[in-house]
Amino acid sequence: MTPKLAFRLRRAGMYVLLTAIALVFVGPFLILLSAAFKPAGQAVFSFPPDIIPRPPVLTWVKEAWTTIPYLSYLFNSVIYVGVMVPVYIVVSALCAYPLAQMNFRGKNLIFFAILSTMFLPGEVMLLPRFLVVSQLGMADSYAGVILPGLLSAFGIFLIRQTFAGVPREVIDAARTDGCHELRIFWHVMLPAARPTLAILGIFGFISVWNSFIWPMVVLKDSAMYPIALGISYLAGVTGTDVRSLAAGTVISILPVVIFFMIMQRHVLEGMRGAVKG
Amino acid sequence: MAIHVPERHAPSAAPRTRSRRSTSRDDRKRPQPGRIPGQRWYTPYLFPIPALILFGIFFAWPAVTAIQLSFFKWDAVSQPIFVGLDNFARLASDGRFWTGLGNSMLFLVGMFPLLVVIPLLLAVLVNQRLPGIKTFRMLYYLPVVTSMVAVGVAWEYVFNQQGVLNWILTGFGILDQPIQYLLDPVWALPALVLVEGWKSMGVFMMIYLAGLQTIPTNLYEAAKVDGASAWHRLRHITVPLIVPYLAVTLTMEMLEAMQVFTSVYVMTQGGPQDSTLTLGYYIWSAAFQKYDMGYASAMGLVLWLLLILMALANYRITKGRTVMT
Repeated sequence: MTPKLAFRLRRAGMYVLLTAIALVFVGPFLILLSAAFKPAGQAVFSFPPDIIPRPPVLTWVKEAWTTIPYLSYLFNSVIYVGVMVPVYIVVSALCAYPLAQMNFRGKNLIFFAILSTMFLPGEVMLLPRFLVVSQLGMADSYAGVILPGLLSAFGIFLIRQTFAGVPREVIDAARTDGCHELRIFWHVMLPAARPTLAILGIFGFISVWNSFIWPMVVLKDSAMYPIALGISYLAGVTGTDVRSLAAGTVISILPVVIFFMIMQRHVLEGMRGAVKG
Repeated sequence: MAIHVPERHAPSAAPRTRSRRSTSRDDRKRPQPGRIPGQRWYTPYLFPIPALILFGIFFAWPAVTAIQLSFFKWDAVSQPIFVGLDNFARLASDGRFWTGLGNSMLFLVGMFPLLVVIPLLLAVLVNQRLPGIKTFRMLYYLPVVTSMVAVGVAWEYVFNQQGVLNWILTGFGILDQPIQYLLDPVWALPALVLVEGWKSMGVFMMIYLAGLQTIPTNLYEAAKVDGASAWHRLRHITVPLIVPYLAVTLTMEMLEAMQVFTSVYVMTQGGPQDSTLTLGYYIWSAAFQKYDMGYASAMGLVLWLLLILMALANYRITKGRTVMT
């Protein structure tokens, strides 16, 4: 066997392995996708599974679309993402700037106070946070969903790491030119951290789009539900055909998957920043 | 004035094993900037104000509320009644609490191979230079991106009586009878562990991948020249240099496993026969289904304490060799 052939064989074997693993990760979604477009006559579950819908139909997508108010759920999710993601990034960046580039008393205290929120388990905070939110009169409102999600230790941490890499000279030069701190923040620091902000945007988008427990706890009025919570409602509607549930699920994850595919080249970079000091 | 070299751009052959303590010492060595014209003493305190307000309202205040509540009996409607340590005493004799704790521990153990071990192998696999490798990375990351509700729906098609898993297992003659995995007290918990692990594997793979990419390739080349096998290279180069990342994944695995809630809520609601009742789910149901607020808070505090202890233990085990901070 020539070395070239051995190389090709090994490479082919590698692709077989990679594809087999990919099937494990993508498989459940493929089944979902196939169920969503199968005609009524074709069994969803069968021995052996037959994946390809013959012919593919849009009946279930239409049914899912009309059973629950999809458009308004999608609209709510867009509002949550549109408000929460930019605000959370700005709040995090504001907090990160002095932590990265200034020396002052209490700096470590502030940093560790915020870092400690990473270790507060979500389920533990669910009830007391709900009580605080209702005391503030924000239960069952957009504000109640949005405000608690605006602080992220992860975001502050990540941006601080990036800001710390901006050379002091650049900032000092701006200061000597009479730039006040807020302008330095806006015109020097934020542009310097653009890749980090992009990755935070992606993670923020994904987590807000999929948020489910907190809105479920805060909201009584289903008119304010985000889409991830909305489809769980579809799952609860009795007599829902599995196909329309599948179709509804596909509709709900499509936007976030598309968004992720467009932005995914940033992901590894962001991970690297997150775990490297 | 010393030039502050951004660490993340400085390539270094050595693994990053410096502890948090040594980093802050470096900070102190850095010369203090002189008086900055136009900057008042309070300027550094202005920027974190929004974050600190949010921290106070949505983290500190709830934390204090939880501690307070754990000493009361309260149904969220009538006046809270002070009961002292009764809620904690109740925990000790509550069989379901111990079931929940046991199940959470099973999640912790069951998710260890799925989140700490396998993702490292996956990361090694997708760290190769191959055309199209980025597509595979993305496919492996896909479950992370989607919501647990959608994932739950998708997996029900796998675990169904006539689902894919039964088809494979009966097809290969491993099973005689199809199993209703989510309705079987023996199989429901392993099934959820599988779903949770599958959903989060991508994140853990990416963390390792980030770590792998800091290992200089010439180390591997040198080992190859010396005739080291792929296994030896993994064992003697990759694993030792990835230890700081292992500390991160281990902590994250603990936090995640002990807080499992959504998959339980979406797929089994704690059943059958409490076989998937996790602490997270039990706390949620005590608070939002039974309106037993004081008791839920007491359980929450116990879980909180457990998580802190685990994080500390992990910090000791890995001797603080984490790459975080």
